[in-house]
Order: sequence, then C-alpha cells, then structure tokens
Amino acid sequence: MSIENILDVEFGTELPVFEPDTTLANVGAFARAVGWGGSRFESHEGARKEGFPGALVPGIMGMGFLVSAIHRWAPTGTVEHIDGVFRAPMIADTPAIISAVVTDIDEDEGLVELDMTVKNTKDETRVFGTARLRLPKA
Amino acid sequence: MVDIDELKKQFLNAEFDSKNFVLDAENLLVVAKTSGETRAQFIDAEHADFQATPAFLCSLASGRHLPIDFPALGGIPMDGGKAVECFAPIRAGQPITGKSHLHDIYDKQGRSGRMIFIVVRMEIVDAQETLLAVSDSRLVIREKPTA
Repeated sequence: MSIENILDVEFGTELPVFEPDTTLANVGAFARAVGWGGSRFESHEGARKEGFPGALVPGIMGMGFLVSAIHRWAPTGTVEHIDGVFRAPMIADTPAIISAVVTDIDEDEGLVELDMTVKNTKDETRVFGTARLRLPKA
Repeated sequence: MVDIDELKKQFLNAEFDSKNFVLDAENLLVVAKTSGETRAQFIDAEHADFQATPAFLCSLASGRHLPIDFPALGGIPMDGGKAVECFAPIRAGQPITGKSHLHDIYDKQGRSGRMIFIVVRMEIVDAQETLLAVSDSRLVIREKPTA
C-alpha cells in the first residue's frame, strides 16, 4: 500500500522489501558520481588487493537505498533526517535486502520514525539506522 | 590512553575547515538513479524541484578529516557511519559552503580494546549563510594499546 498522508501510517508497519541494484557497474557509476571512483568500488580484483573480500558498495549508497525504499513506500513524504551505521562492508554483485519498520508516529506534526536495515542473503546486517519522514497531514 | 574529556575541551565546536561546492546536475542524477530513486525531483533534471538526494549530501567532504593539530590516536580512522538532516533543498549549480567542526568525541570499550568515535559535523550553507543541511560523519579509531 502506498502512503499518501500521516493517517495512512500504522505503528509497526513493515515497508515493502526493496532489493536494489548492487551490480559492479551500478556501484561504480555511483562511486564515480560522488568522486570516489577507483578500484575499491569499481573492481573486485583491485579491492582484494587492498584486503577487502571484493569491490565495496559505499556506505552512503546503502543510505541512498534506504531513502529510495522510503520514497517508494511514501511518494509524498520528505526524508528530513537519516542516520546510518556502517556495521560491515556490503560487497558489489551480492544481493542487498532493504527492510524498514515504523517505530513512531506523530500525527500532529506529520512525522514518522523508521528503523531500517540493509542485510545480505545470510541475514547479516551490513547497515542499520533510523530515518525521520515528514508526511502531509490529512 | 587519550583523555576524552581533554580532547573535547580542546577541539569541540571549533570550525577547522571550510570548503565551497557547486553540485553537478549529471552527478546528482547518477547518484539518485543508481540508488533506486523513483521520485521525479531527484531523477528529472527538468523538474522544478530538482535537488540532491540526502545520500549525495553525505558524500560532501571537507579538505581535511580532523583539525590539523588533532593528536594521532594510533589507529587508522574507519568510516563508522553518516547522518544527514535536511532543512532546505540543495540544487545543482547552487554555490554552497561546507563548514566543518568536531561535534562529539566519545569512546566505547570493546573486547579488543577501546574504540574512539569522532563525529565530524559539516554545516552546509548557501551564499546568504542560510543553513541548508547538516551532515555528520562518524570516524571510528581503534586505539593502539600503550606498551
């Protein structure tokens, strides 16, 4: 269900799961656009030479995935604040599963708080955080 | 062992770097689209409300990570996370300035020793000094044990 205003939101609602594009080509394009181009984010081989298990997905791209998941769920909302903790590396060309749950609602202010995670297919958390979303009042 | 209270006294809330930015529309589009963004104001440069995504703002970095006289703590700083609070849209081509200061310093004791967390806050303002966004970067340093 797409959310249009604050009265559409229920406490404890889980957002639809979002599986973003973590292919090496997509990750590399993101990295270059933020000025972080280089082997760490664009080459598995190059990243392994630096001691990583493979090319990394930038942590801030994980935050971009989280914001996109919110916008897909609530197209009229504005993400006012997002806080992400980079717990472990995300690796390009491996699936990332974005999930989120509503943890607080302020109907008077039109604000929603969300807890969010990025996990891999082994259910290991890579990034977790919180977001505050402002929605139109009814 | 570094005295956290002393570090706070010496370094918190003093601006140590200022850097000017002008965001490129093409880069804003690529970041939004590769993140899976679907909202028109992030993926359509012709949209009247076209603006940077919060994740893009997290990528803005000052010229230096820490104040020039900040003591070496022994370990290599790792990127422990980011946060951004948005107060107004930031547009492509708009001159903005990022002013950085240390917002917080704290430690946590782990099984392998003490971890020191340093929160570097960048306040992003426009040419009129209006605060547009605040971006926090958490640096994590594993303190090297003293011999």
